[in-house]
Amino acid sequence: MKSLERSFYSKSSKYSFIVVLLLFFSIWIGTENFLHFDMALMGYLISSLIFAIGLTIRMSSWLLRPATRQVIQRSLQNLRQRKYKRRNMKAILKTAFENIFLQKFIFKRGIYRGVQHFLIAWGCIGSFAITFGLTFGWMHFELVDPETYTIVVMGVETISMAAHGFFAEMVYNGLNITASMVLIGVCMALTRRIVNEDVKVTQRAEFDLFPLFLLLAVTVTGLLLTVSYVLLDGWMHHYMTLVHQVTVVVLLIYFPFGKLFHLPIRPLTTAVPMNYQEEWKVDTRPCLRCGTVYSSDPQVSDVKEILSVQQFDLQLEDGSYLSDYCPACRRRIRVMKQLNNQPHLQQGHNPILTRNGSEMSGFGGRRTDDYYNFPEHVQKELKQYKEEGGNE
Amino acid sequence: MNKIMYLEFERCIGCRACQAACRECGDHDAKERNYVEYVDFTESRQTYPMLCMQCKDPACARVCPANAIQITDEGVVLSAMEEKCIGCRNCTFGCPFGIPKFDFEENKMYKCDMCYDRSKHDIAPMCASVCPSEAIRFIDFDEMQQLRRRRSQMNLVEGKKPQEGNKWEYVPEFFGVYTD
Repeated sequence: MKSLERSFYSKSSKYSFIVVLLLFFSIWIGTENFLHFDMALMGYLISSLIFAIGLTIRMSSWLLRPATRQVIQRSLQNLRQRKYKRRNMKAILKTAFENIFLQKFIFKRGIYRGVQHFLIAWGCIGSFAITFGLTFGWMHFELVDPETYTIVVMGVETISMAAHGFFAEMVYNGLNITASMVLIGVCMALTRRIVNEDVKVTQRAEFDLFPLFLLLAVTVTGLLLTVSYVLLDGWMHHYMTLVHQVTVVVLLIYFPFGKLFHLPIRPLTTAVPMNYQEEWKVDTRPCLRCGTVYSSDPQVSDVKEILSVQQFDLQLEDGSYLSDYCPACRRRIRVMKQLNNQPHLQQGHNPILTRNGSEMSGFGGRRTDDYYNFPEHVQKELKQYKEEGGNE
Repeated sequence: MNKIMYLEFERCIGCRACQAACRECGDHDAKERNYVEYVDFTESRQTYPMLCMQCKDPACARVCPANAIQITDEGVVLSAMEEKCIGCRNCTFGCPFGIPKFDFEENKMYKCDMCYDRSKHDIAPMCASVCPSEAIRFIDFDEMQQLRRRRSQMNLVEGKKPQEGNKWEYVPEFFGVYTD
């Protein structure tokens, strides 16, 4: 394994090579020794390979980050443990269904945004599935008899359907359906970005608008192809295929490097309830200073580890770490230091003594006399005065 | 542009105008991203405002598994990008100052971004622009240095003598240095 690794410049180049190799073999098998290879899709095929390489490079550099690695390691560790099996399965299935399939958390940000994101997301995923299935030759249609078509997936015949049946029409128009979903979603998103003042403030043209325009270009040119051969007798069809191909190539090359990269990294969400929450939204770890629960043990130990790997020294004098305290106590520790007061770190502390020479200005209490460095004779007089029962 | 945020905790009168102003800032969805708290309520009524320190090498960004926390050219550390944030709350527990907040409903983290949309145009952030006691100020770098120098002089006058290593304990907080 070591020698294999050494034959590459880096881990990401190794993984890219393996991914391209696997894709090549899948094409070989899918097209039955390149028999059903669709030359018209050549441009898409090459750009898909570039897309795969880009995605692999981005994914591997993302996974190599200490924080990401720690979370992935923790997830793998968790999955191996038998006693958490039930919790893990429940967490994974629940998050996958609610957060990834239904995208509930976006609906909570607003129904409009939810619908828009749902349409774009599932439209894109559907389009990608169909496009990659066809370009890599993983599936194709075969005529069994003049009335029946069958879908061949990886050389295996799967579903047979009547050539003009309802299901067949749905399959032929699969890309049109997904494209319409994306088109509606993108139009909603663009409207929101033009109308909503709050979004206007923080959005960046190259980051937030460019991918939307790109998706718009892809869907519009794709749907125009259908319009061309259904309504216009194939007028300009050939040129439109080229234009559409260019837009798709740009999208595929942009995908791993821009905003759309959030799609492949999103499944990490499942790690959160699985690793850090025995029960959803319930914290278990008490703060060292005030005792309020604020997090869970595995999460705090993960955070400590990630920070120490990156040379963050957040250990305090008494050996505890800043992450052992709840955020509110952390803020207080900071401010007390700033106000020249030693914070009591561990639990069970008395109120802070402020009448001890190092007082915070602005505090109500009177300062003790020795703070003012009175000359000796004044000190003597003061002492005498107090002994006689004089008021301060 | 060479302006910074300047905090003097002792000047805080606890009016929470900064929090109210923060809620009004663009894109904050009526949720404040700063804090006003008591240092120790059993001892005194001293409150303090707390904002993000806009670290040069932010721990929150370093502990984010999704790589969602971005830093602008001016050094402002932004809230987690909505599309990337996976809602793990690592940033909340990694931050030494306890700044990032978490919205369970929307499943995303949000934190003080120094009103980036305002401060990048040299306009004071919402909290600084409303603070009546000047506990939070948005001032020139030079002005800040003058204020800090005066503060350490005052400390000397009051009898607090900083040692070699702990000078920083005697001067107010400042952060978010904008470079030219």
